[in-house]
Amino acid sequence: MYYLELLINGIAAGGTYALFAVGLTMVYGIFRFINFAHGEMIAWGAYGVLLFLAPPFGLPLWLAIILALALTAGIALASERIAFRPLAGRAPLVLLIASIGVSFVLRGILQFIFGADLQSYGVEISGRIEIFGLVATYIQLAMLGLSLTFFAGLYVLLRFTLLGKTLRAVADNAELFGIMGLPLARVRLVVWSLGALFAATGGILLALDTNLEPYMGLTNLLKAFAAVLLGGAGNVFGALLGGLIIGVGENLGTAIISPGYKDLIAFAVVVIMLLFRPQGLFAVKSGVR
Amino acid sequence: MDYILHVLIMALIYTVFASSLNLQLGLAGLYNFGHVAFFALGAYGSALLTVNGLPVAVGWIAAIAIAGLLGLVIAYPLLRLTGDYFGVASLAFAEIIRILLLNERWLTKGPMGVPAIPRPTWLGMPATSLVQYLIIVIVASAAVLAVLVVVGRSPFGRFLKVIREDEEVARAFGRDIVSYKVRCVMVGAGAAGLAGAMWAHYVTYISPADFTIEVTILVLLSVVLGGRGTFAGPILGAFLVILVQEAVRFLPLPPEWGRLVVPIQGIIFGGVLVAMMILRPQGFIPEHRE
Repeated sequence: MYYLELLINGIAAGGTYALFAVGLTMVYGIFRFINFAHGEMIAWGAYGVLLFLAPPFGLPLWLAIILALALTAGIALASERIAFRPLAGRAPLVLLIASIGVSFVLRGILQFIFGADLQSYGVEISGRIEIFGLVATYIQLAMLGLSLTFFAGLYVLLRFTLLGKTLRAVADNAELFGIMGLPLARVRLVVWSLGALFAATGGILLALDTNLEPYMGLTNLLKAFAAVLLGGAGNVFGALLGGLIIGVGENLGTAIISPGYKDLIAFAVVVIMLLFRPQGLFAVKSGVR
Repeated sequence: MDYILHVLIMALIYTVFASSLNLQLGLAGLYNFGHVAFFALGAYGSALLTVNGLPVAVGWIAAIAIAGLLGLVIAYPLLRLTGDYFGVASLAFAEIIRILLLNERWLTKGPMGVPAIPRPTWLGMPATSLVQYLIIVIVASAAVLAVLVVVGRSPFGRFLKVIREDEEVARAFGRDIVSYKVRCVMVGAGAAGLAGAMWAHYVTYISPADFTIEVTILVLLSVVLGGRGTFAGPILGAFLVILVQEAVRFLPLPPEWGRLVVPIQGIIFGGVLVAMMILRPQGFIPEHRE
């Protein structure tokens, strides 16, 4: 029973890791660089809700969540416009270093406004559900339900819409941008705002489950990166599976090793995957599938 | 006066730290985002040996050896990776080291950290004054920088640049590229270990919280800002970074805003890093190319 509950915790956590991973893997697949600032979308989503809940806004939770998601998408688009677009076509490492700078700026602003201490929304969603003696909190169910819904939506978008087909085509061959006259502006808009939306949703769920701190973005970015590598860089649905594997592995791992080493598992996965199977468990040649 | 000495000591320690990263990043093109791990191991190695009674000089030599050895151990597997994948693997590796320092309490005292790290002795007396410590740091840094310059100018250092520019060409020379890179990482790691030891014996208290990714970013910024691949660049960069960091403390902020110093530093450094990448990716002192 104990192990089954760890499994449930793991699946719920893994769902959020997968939400974090989508933006990272899509930007890698289409714009070909590791966006280190993606973690700050997780943190800004969570802190955005805090911003709109507190005075002077004092809005209800649902409205605060919607506004926080919009705010995060706006931040992602602004950072793309200011920092990444001028660097388009440069070496991936130049973009990676610039994204480290962006993440510093975004985290600095966050700490400037909200301070460095642990915080929480003060909104208790404490309901839980019991099936066959197994307990899952509402938040955990929401984590699982929302990540499945989001990925289903993403599947429909990528498979059945013209825009999704464009995204996949561009990921396959970046030169198509120029040759086919594909709508670069729309691709950028969709990729950056979708990634931010997914990450912010995951960040809000995480904050509802535990609490908020300025470094939550960075910590979870590394987990998301582990999920991306497991799934194969650029593979959106591999990232879902990768996230679940990391989440379950971490939580089952605490049954065997000291909880202090929980975070180590994700990092070990990063190193091992890079060394032995950098193309991921579910390799695609390239691009968003 | 003491404050100026403090800034000078910090700047010199970061000069060594940045120059050691420059050997890997600037010369060999290895984007090591986990350089703080070597700094941390040097700091912890020397601190733990000296609080248990060994002389500081032994601690510093051990710091170089421990960090260099760690460089060797991780370089072999990680160097199979290239470019941004190497960067991320080294970052993950540094986090693993930090988590180990946090959890192996029997050795490192965990989050409590190591207090009361002794200062080096000066003619038989502990070097308590900052001037004495500054002189020791100047001598040690000059020695390390001299070694790094010699290594950089040697045929070995020049071949690292060949590897950076074109690995295929380097391989065509019939040399063992992995061996070159491993030695490069080892030397850089050893120098970073000494920087860590100098820092540990200066602040006299260290804990795992001192060795986060932020430190790596600071030293990366020093190299990129000053100019990678040059010898003067990282020195200029390290002094600039430390000066900016200290200058923020003197902003005319109301005293209750003290908590804002760290976020303001973060915003400035992040902004500068982005601006440099867009406007002057080669740094203030560009590498001379024929």
